[in-house]
Amino acid sequence: MSRQWVLGEFSSSEALVVALKDLRARGFEQLDAHTPFPVEETFEALGLKRSWLPLLTLGAGLGGAAFAYVTQWFTNAVDYPLNVGGRPLHSVPTNLPIAFELAVLSAALTVFGALMLLFGFPHVTHPVFDVESFRSASVDSFWASVAVDSEDAPKVEAALHELGARQVSVVAEGAR
Amino acid sequence: MSTADPQVPAPGDPLTEHPILEGRHSDRAYSESLLAFVHRPAGRTWWALMGLGLAGTAVLAVAVGVTLFVGVGTWGNNIPVAWAFGITNFVWWIGIGHAGTLISAILLLFQEKWRGSINRFAEAMTLFAVTCAGLFPLLHLGRPWKFYWLVPYPSSLRAWPQFRSPLTWDIAAVGTYLTVSLLFWFVGLIPDLATARDTAKTPRARFWYGLASLGWRGSARHWRQWRTGYLLLAGLATPLVVSVHTIVSFDFAVSQLPGWHTTVFPPYFVAGAVFSGFALVLTLLIPARKALGIEHVVTPLHLDNMAKVLMATGWMVAYGYIQEHFFAWFSGNPFEMHATEAEFFGPYAPLFWMQIFCNVLVPQLFWFSRLRTNVVVLWVAALLINVGMWTERFLIVVASLSMDFLPSSWAAYRPTWVDWSLLGGTVAFFGTAFLLFLKFVPAVSVSEMKELQREVDASLQFRREQGTRPGGAP
Repeated sequence: MSRQWVLGEFSSSEALVVALKDLRARGFEQLDAHTPFPVEETFEALGLKRSWLPLLTLGAGLGGAAFAYVTQWFTNAVDYPLNVGGRPLHSVPTNLPIAFELAVLSAALTVFGALMLLFGFPHVTHPVFDVESFRSASVDSFWASVAVDSEDAPKVEAALHELGARQVSVVAEGAR
Repeated sequence: MSTADPQVPAPGDPLTEHPILEGRHSDRAYSESLLAFVHRPAGRTWWALMGLGLAGTAVLAVAVGVTLFVGVGTWGNNIPVAWAFGITNFVWWIGIGHAGTLISAILLLFQEKWRGSINRFAEAMTLFAVTCAGLFPLLHLGRPWKFYWLVPYPSSLRAWPQFRSPLTWDIAAVGTYLTVSLLFWFVGLIPDLATARDTAKTPRARFWYGLASLGWRGSARHWRQWRTGYLLLAGLATPLVVSVHTIVSFDFAVSQLPGWHTTVFPPYFVAGAVFSGFALVLTLLIPARKALGIEHVVTPLHLDNMAKVLMATGWMVAYGYIQEHFFAWFSGNPFEMHATEAEFFGPYAPLFWMQIFCNVLVPQLFWFSRLRTNVVVLWVAALLINVGMWTERFLIVVASLSMDFLPSSWAAYRPTWVDWSLLGGTVAFFGTAFLLFLKFVPAVSVSEMKELQREVDASLQFRREQGTRPGGAP
């Protein structure tokens, strides 16, 4: 009972989208597409949901701004008041630049961190890299991948051939 | 391509558009042509330029060493001119960085298709320019090894930084700008590093690109999140560009010095930043597109558009000049009026008029479409604009400081060899970093070009089906 990936190569994104829809209709789960550039139609074919990244980013930005503002207020008005020519110790305008910068910084770091977590990166030893011809996925080919238990692999292979895949390969988990 | 290709401009007709991509290329052709320079062993020209760059960087190292070991006294700074070259170079370099973010982020949000060919290029410039810029305020601290005092960490000194000082704002702005630019650049780069990994010619190259691309496999699930993330970073970088140079201008505008004490500074600085940045992008892009053999993706259309941006921002800068001097005169404040008079006719007048020539007159060349796509004219004009913008920063810093309220405290400023070495050294360091970038990183976004080709194909298809010709004639 080991997990396997069945990979099928298609020559165009249109063929790939047709194949993905068909595979979904046949009841295969855990589908994925591998393309050299983002193809809008594959997202729909795979039934991907909207990303929740924007909300997370907004939260992180607001948090960063609040942290920066509170820090400035605490350090300059409460903990270590410095009288500079009688200017107000807690001055809103002078606190805003850093608050804004920190909002952007925390939001950007959150976006990057979230992307890395979502992708599971760094992950340079994924089994699909064992297939030498899979390297075309970042150049000019469109691949469909189905993750299945090993006993179902032949079924998927047959289906991919039927849908007109140029070539089909199977990789197993823990091959390395 | 079909016979009647509506994309090919009639030669010499200023009203037909230049194509955004020259010719029709397959995905594989893009992968190969855009990565050709990366996979090729470095040529003689590259090594020669690299040697020059490294020599200049050595000069920079010496100048930094002298500054650290002997002190800021080796610079030409004096009182009243306490800022001089250090801050001039800082503002100039930061400004140059802004064009990269503008091209990448703002044009992405506006869905301008022509950004794809030059954004990676411009963003790399941003990174290196901001690195150069960050060096100056640090050295200018006088005791650079205590720079971390600007960060509010719970120290045994029991003191906190003074957040009402623009110096602390600068740290936040420049630090954030560098970090966000780096993230934005790297996130955009991951898919192309994977392409470099998969087209690598040697096992060693495959290993390193494989490591750098973190295991990108072009999964649709990843692409979807990547797109959202990239767009978010662009959305964050856009206000960041404006805010960073606004904060840089606050360094001046929050003071009361005649010549700085004006509300036009933030937009004036941002416009100047974009202006000088675009000029440097052009300066580097024109030779690089030839050297890298990427003229099929960086077409005359890109040069044309960038020349237009130069002219537009040039006018904004000109408006800033008019505002600055008109209001100095209109205020009726004798100190402000004197600052303007000193610029026009005083000791720095030659520099002032040179600045007017470079920044106001030179961009007027771009009213003519032939000059907008003439690489020689463009390149020389861009170079002049770079010089002009540096002069402008210099005048704002030095001319205002050297003649303030009291004639008894006036003093002239003369740069020393350390000042010049720091400026020239950062230019050389920038060049070195840029050469390394061209050699090791795909300079044009490969995946975006493939996408763009699809869009161009679709629009041509649509036009053919509609049976229209350019100009709307059936």
